Amino acid sequence: MDNLMQIAMQNVNYGSIMPSLVLCIFGMALLLINVFLPRGKTTPASWIALIGLVVTAVFAARGWGDPQFGFAGHVALDKFASFSNIIFLFSAGLTILMSDEYLQREGYPIGEYYPLILFATAGAMWMASGTDMMTIFLGLEVLSISLYILAGMFRGQLRSNEAGLKYFLLGAFSTGFLVYGIALIYGVSGTTNVADIGMYLKSHPAMLGNPMTIAGMLLISVGFLFKIGAAPFHMWAPDVYQGAPTPITAFMSAGPKAAALVAFVRILILGLDGLQGDWTSLLWVLAVLTMTVGNIIAINQTNIKRMLAYSSISHAGYALVGLVAANQIGVSGILFYMLAYTFMNLGAFAVLVLAGKKGEENLTLEGFAGFGFKRPFLGVAMSIFLISLMGIPTTAGFAGKFYIFAGAIKAGYIWLAVLGVLNSAVSLYYYLRVMVYMYFKEPAEDYGWVTLHAGAVISIIISVVGVFYLGLIPGKVMEMARMALFF
Amino acid sequence: MAAILFYILSAVALGATLICVTRRNPVHAVIYLVHAFFALAMIFYLFGAPLVAAWEVIIYAGAIMVLFMFIIMMLELAPDQTTEGPGWKRWLPVLLLSGTLVVCTLLLMFADAETASGVPRYYASPRTFGYALFKEYALAVEIVSFQLLFAAVGAFYVGRREKRKPRRAP
Repeated sequence: MDNLMQIAMQNVNYGSIMPSLVLCIFGMALLLINVFLPRGKTTPASWIALIGLVVTAVFAARGWGDPQFGFAGHVALDKFASFSNIIFLFSAGLTILMSDEYLQREGYPIGEYYPLILFATAGAMWMASGTDMMTIFLGLEVLSISLYILAGMFRGQLRSNEAGLKYFLLGAFSTGFLVYGIALIYGVSGTTNVADIGMYLKSHPAMLGNPMTIAGMLLISVGFLFKIGAAPFHMWAPDVYQGAPTPITAFMSAGPKAAALVAFVRILILGLDGLQGDWTSLLWVLAVLTMTVGNIIAINQTNIKRMLAYSSISHAGYALVGLVAANQIGVSGILFYMLAYTFMNLGAFAVLVLAGKKGEENLTLEGFAGFGFKRPFLGVAMSIFLISLMGIPTTAGFAGKFYIFAGAIKAGYIWLAVLGVLNSAVSLYYYLRVMVYMYFKEPAEDYGWVTLHAGAVISIIISVVGVFYLGLIPGKVMEMARMALFF
Repeated sequence: MAAILFYILSAVALGATLICVTRRNPVHAVIYLVHAFFALAMIFYLFGAPLVAAWEVIIYAGAIMVLFMFIIMMLELAPDQTTEGPGWKRWLPVLLLSGTLVVCTLLLMFADAETASGVPRYYASPRTFGYALFKEYALAVEIVSFQLLFAAVGAFYVGRREKRKPRRAP
């Protein structure tokens, strides 16, 4: 009995997992509440989910000045985790706001929808605050499994089924790579703790050249790059993004991507610091490849949802540039950029949610002809988000790209920054084309079916405010992002 | 001796997996996969983790593979038997693999602990294992339990039969 007390009570610090714990509690409570809600009514559930997010935000923000560690060093709620948690909460909140009417319209008012989003967010938080490979890996699994279900949520739609199955099969495959990499690194260092791995490799420099270490680093990279959607592991992204329910696509392009990036940052910079020469040269090539592939294929798309999917691949490439730089400006630039990207991309998807008909066959470029004049509010909002995605000054997208490329230049990767800027120039073409269709084409119809639902409009307004706040006065948030770094 | 056993068992595991993924007949594939799991279990035992070895056999080779078989039979996936050549050719690889496994297992069981050890040996008793799991990896256990709950929710949702007329469940 003594033994039992000893092991049961050790190292427990609920403060360190409080945000994800609150989300899980709300998620489970929602599952129960759903039983008592009348069938087809999901609005109360969405409000409860939003309350859960707000409560979580309070706990996440409280960790800012007061880092919490716990569970035998498996989890740390430091500033880095807190900042990332806020990104996840924004992406989940905006997603939930735009979801309710959408689910009603598409005919799938499903009770499991909101708990799964909360749970995916909790998984993302475990990834961001995990300081042990096991926590990070399990967080990734929690996040991914929720997303597999959410992507295939519309059971009657072939595209949604395809998205769910494709994401599941490829995701499980890539997880295998990640676990294999973790196992090899464990075999080298004898520990799964990220900081201890870094310490071991520092004190045993001979192991750095060991093929097992290199292979482990490469396999871990493959696992994360898949989740980020970087080329050449991006093949799943367009189909999954197009097939999944639109709010889920929005969520997937922001929250989980940010989660994979921050966990990747923690592992590479804290754990595999000694191999920096190897992974920078790898990521240099992949960043350029990702930006270019995403942008060039996006030019050819006529479906706007699919176009945004490819553009999200190229944005992952910009974020990787910050990781190649691996200095203060670059990595805090990643945090800033993911927050900015959350606002601009979720805003754009919220407009798509409102503009779509049932089944969303009309989300093509032609379907947006004259949209800007017939629906001025949505047209202006969409233009703002597209301008931000291009990276035009005064918007969040510009500030984010500026910091990331500044980091790359400071680290001496001038060519990488140049290629990044050139890629942004390429992306002007396909973003501007949507605006051309919205404002310079004769409207084919009067868009009478578009009704401004409160939830989606609120999420658009929050996104517009976020885009301009981060674009006009980026200093404060950038300062916080810099304080959030752990190195 | 342990090193030799390790290489033999690894070869069996790799070979069995390789044959498994090239089989047309899903039932045959499952049988080969069971061999691979047995070989892995023996490797775990060799490394001083008897509990993991037992679980490998009970959970993977036992429970999960039986479930696989069950589903294959339920879906009637097995193609007709004539596609895989004459009888002895079909039986040869599986007999070779299982024979090797049996010999290795007997050697491991009856060999002296001293001679069997060739690798740096750390014996993980169930007690040590339990301590590590619930002391070091307590959070991981909790996360897994959450994950299983939501995976079950998802499986239930995806597998639920659609009713023609939506009615409130009684």
